[in-house]
Amino acid sequence: MSMRQSLTAVLERGATLTGSFATEPYEAAWAAEARWFVRTLAPPPDGARLLVHAQVSPDGLHWCDLDEPRPVDAALVSWTSVRFGGWLRLAGTLEPGGTRSAETTVHIYLALKS
Amino acid sequence: MTRTEDPALARFNPLPRVLVHDDFDTGAHGWVELIGNHDEHGDLGTVDDHMRDFRPPQLSSCNFFDVGTHGALSGTYALKVATRPLTGHTGVAIRRLTMAGRGLVQFETYLTYKSEAASAENRAAYAAGSGKWDANFHPSENQFGAFTVATDICDGVRYHCVARYLNTDLANRPRRQWVYPAVPEPTPREHFEGKLKLPPTADFTAPDPDDWHAFGDAQELCYNEVPTKVNWHYLRWLIDTRTRTNVELQLNDTVHDMRGVPVPAYAEEYGSLRNLLNFYVSVRTHTDVRNFLYLDSVLVSVDW
Repeated sequence: MSMRQSLTAVLERGATLTGSFATEPYEAAWAAEARWFVRTLAPPPDGARLLVHAQVSPDGLHWCDLDEPRPVDAALVSWTSVRFGGWLRLAGTLEPGGTRSAETTVHIYLALKS
Repeated sequence: MTRTEDPALARFNPLPRVLVHDDFDTGAHGWVELIGNHDEHGDLGTVDDHMRDFRPPQLSSCNFFDVGTHGALSGTYALKVATRPLTGHTGVAIRRLTMAGRGLVQFETYLTYKSEAASAENRAAYAAGSGKWDANFHPSENQFGAFTVATDICDGVRYHCVARYLNTDLANRPRRQWVYPAVPEPTPREHFEGKLKLPPTADFTAPDPDDWHAFGDAQELCYNEVPTKVNWHYLRWLIDTRTRTNVELQLNDTVHDMRGVPVPAYAEEYGSLRNLLNFYVSVRTHTDVRNFLYLDSVLVSVDW
């Protein structure tokens, strides 16, 4: 078995998120494994909550959900995606809760391995 | 197997010593997102606004909505550098080497360039540069801004050799012209010293459009009508690090003499960079449509 390929992409760097968002599309057809990391630099205000989910696409243009929304409720949150085909992106919503307007600042990493 | 018997090498025309041969079916080969410098705390908030979002390169199967996977020149994967769908945004991938000598350095690649196909989400058909499709011309071609091949070199004096294919001007009108910058690239140290501060979508190589000048004749490339057909172009760029000069740029059947194309050097010295030899490729959109530069493979060779 030859040595496996790996590539970690920083899809968002210090991004300030509000409302609904999606990362830029990322091509991952060569990879068999994908692991997401969301690192929170500035958490949302109390009562607000960031929910994210992986999305897949046949063409990088049209997207559907791969998994259920999960909360980003720690300084560093990680999970995997499998059987994702050729494209991945991370979509999500910052629910403001009782706050009038909420924002949070994060890094989003995608670690891929063949 | 000799070089001429190996199809992966026979398609290139290298100088005597091959420094790197990057086939993107076997990984990214050190091509990585360019980012500006950060402080001693690792605070990325200290990175210059215009150098913090050059986007991670992708190992792309050249996958499109109409045909599925197009694939690369050889094998399946190419290195893709992508912009955001934001006017002025630039994607940059860089490869970092140092020099063990001085003399001729040649960068060769097979490349193609595309704008993103339209969708209901991206609304590319309604973005600036769009227009009427006539079944030959596709407006997507005028939604591609520019791609650039460039270096960052330091032998004590720091300088950049740069060549840009300006597909359209900033008003999305066709130019199809090779251009070069007459000024050195703004650096994080210049920002740190209060000499400049650039906005996020500044043209980081040379922010003032008036600092870019044409060389050679205009050159039509093979966009091939629609945003989903990939035709690979041969590019060969020769520079001389002994004289800190450009030599020539070949794109397919045209060789542009670059001996008279100036190479702007920094007046100030930079530490920590002795024998720096970086190559970067960039892609810049002039409209709110993603632009892509694809490299099938890269070969860098030298005569030292």
